[in-house]
Amino acid sequence: MNPIVEGINLVKVFGEGSEAVVAVDDVSISINPGELIVIMGESGSGKTTLTSLLGCILQPTSGRLFINGNEIDYESQDLSLIRRKSVGFVFQLFNLIPYLTALENVMIAMDIGGIKDKEAEIKAKELLSQVGLSDRLNHRPSQLSGGEQQRVSFARSLANDPLVVFADEPTANLDSRNSASIVDLIEKLCRERKTAFAVVTHDASLRKNADRVVEMKDGKIINIEYK
Amino acid sequence: MKRVFLKDMAYRKARVILTIISVACLVLLILLMGGMMNGLNLQARDYVKSVDRQAGSGIVWLSSERSGSTFAGFSLINSEYLEVLKTAKGVDKNTPLSPLIFAQARPIINGKEKKAIVVGYKMGMLGGPSDRDLKDPTSPFYPIIGRLFQPSEYEGPEYVPPPEVIVDERTGLEIGQTIELSGKPLRVVGKTKGKLFVFDTPLLFVDLRTAQNTVLSNVLYVNTMLVKAEEGYNESILAEDIKNLSPIKVDAHTGDQIVKIIKANYVDEPMKGVRALRALLWIATGLIVAMITYVTTLEKSREIGVLKAIGASNSYVILMILKQVLLTTVCGVVLGILMAIVSARFFPIVVLISVRESFIVAIITIAVCSYGGYIAGKKAASIDPMIAFRGR
Repeated sequence: MNPIVEGINLVKVFGEGSEAVVAVDDVSISINPGELIVIMGESGSGKTTLTSLLGCILQPTSGRLFINGNEIDYESQDLSLIRRKSVGFVFQLFNLIPYLTALENVMIAMDIGGIKDKEAEIKAKELLSQVGLSDRLNHRPSQLSGGEQQRVSFARSLANDPLVVFADEPTANLDSRNSASIVDLIEKLCRERKTAFAVVTHDASLRKNADRVVEMKDGKIINIEYK
Repeated sequence: MKRVFLKDMAYRKARVILTIISVACLVLLILLMGGMMNGLNLQARDYVKSVDRQAGSGIVWLSSERSGSTFAGFSLINSEYLEVLKTAKGVDKNTPLSPLIFAQARPIINGKEKKAIVVGYKMGMLGGPSDRDLKDPTSPFYPIIGRLFQPSEYEGPEYVPPPEVIVDERTGLEIGQTIELSGKPLRVVGKTKGKLFVFDTPLLFVDLRTAQNTVLSNVLYVNTMLVKAEEGYNESILAEDIKNLSPIKVDAHTGDQIVKIIKANYVDEPMKGVRALRALLWIATGLIVAMITYVTTLEKSREIGVLKAIGASNSYVILMILKQVLLTTVCGVVLGILMAIVSARFFPIVVLISVRESFIVAIITIAVCSYGGYIAGKKAASIDPMIAFRGR
């Protein structure tokens, strides 16, 4: 099976000289279609930086990145185009647009992708139904609970049918009941839609459902556990 | 999702309203300043053009040699000395040479010293209202409320006509009231409408002898003579001819030249500061919009970071901000123009808000603000999408 995302010898250094911090240190990793990967590690171990590199948010200091078999050329390629076509993101702080409803928050990702309103609305409703929010379409983020906001965030991440969704600590700001439902949602979306998920988390409950668990320390992968 | 930018504006409506009001106030000031200058320019040419219309065009204004005209320097002419011009080449023999006094004065009006221009002319000659202005709406000094003053029957220091004056309605005087000019009382017998010199200075029309008797201490001189060019003879050429006519030594200007002199001396020079202030206001408008947009952009850095993280291109972000700036500025400009049109009516001096100038002000303001918005948009587009991950 060909990986959909493959990073080879990725290095990311922040700062220069004596203040330089190596956040990701010579990491090679690949993500296969429909795979659920959990990336674990202590704070500052480089998990978020690695997902940002794999999701084309950050440019590596050195190393190579392939998405769907094509090597990313950071000098000439429009990274925003790659992000909207191939990658989805879920953030720890939900990051929904406060003045848009749940439906519009999903639609905006498609608007960015150039999809027409009518088509976007139908698809956004489907996605919100899939995450169990078909009765909360016209609610604004301030009218939704943390768990509901995170569900909208997952629906948004899937709006442009990405190859992979990177979720950064998706349960960190939720209580245990909501965390558990989000964990179930991730597995459900991954298995039903055959979309790969790379989830950065401290939540051990995700471990048991993952296809692979990657442990990081000091910017390096120290262990990979296959299930 | 074509209205995302509108939803964002509605969410931040207090700031949007504040920006619209700021732009509107600055546009109001810019337009009022321009309107004031338009009003002054209109007043600068009104009297000269009225005299030109009275003659049917082709008037040459004479003043003392090197005076630069009555409107620029000191001029005193013995009108009899210029009688020789009647037979000069190019001068219309059917229109008499018209002596004129055009002088600034400080009459006492309703017990207060006021600024005014005394226009002394001979009834029936060029320079002021005549019988025609009482009934013909197309005549240059129409309408005259009341009657004309009684002219002097003879010339000479001992012959002074009844002390009568035609004032502009802006003086607030009623017919029958009396004003004092150089210590001499003059009775108001008629009123003009809107006959004002620059800065709303009212014109007081009196008989030439009355003007000589008051502002010139009864000296039988004038400060201007009006000559009409004959049909087919260019007044510019006539003005040049008269300047070179020996032994007469006078300055001669066409009506257009006189208007230019008045504008240069009474409008352009004092309004230099206003022009500079106008340019500064435009810059201030752009800066205000750019600063408010920039501060708003900083406030929603994370939202923009999220949009970028989920794939928004730089042009998507810039366009979203530009649409907001454009709509805010257009609203501000429209409100400013409306406020200017309304407030111009209540302004203490004549303010003319022209459609053309409003359009130009709108275009320049929108362009300046859009540039400010573009800079803020560029700054927004440079926000690192990493901000979406940890809020920093």
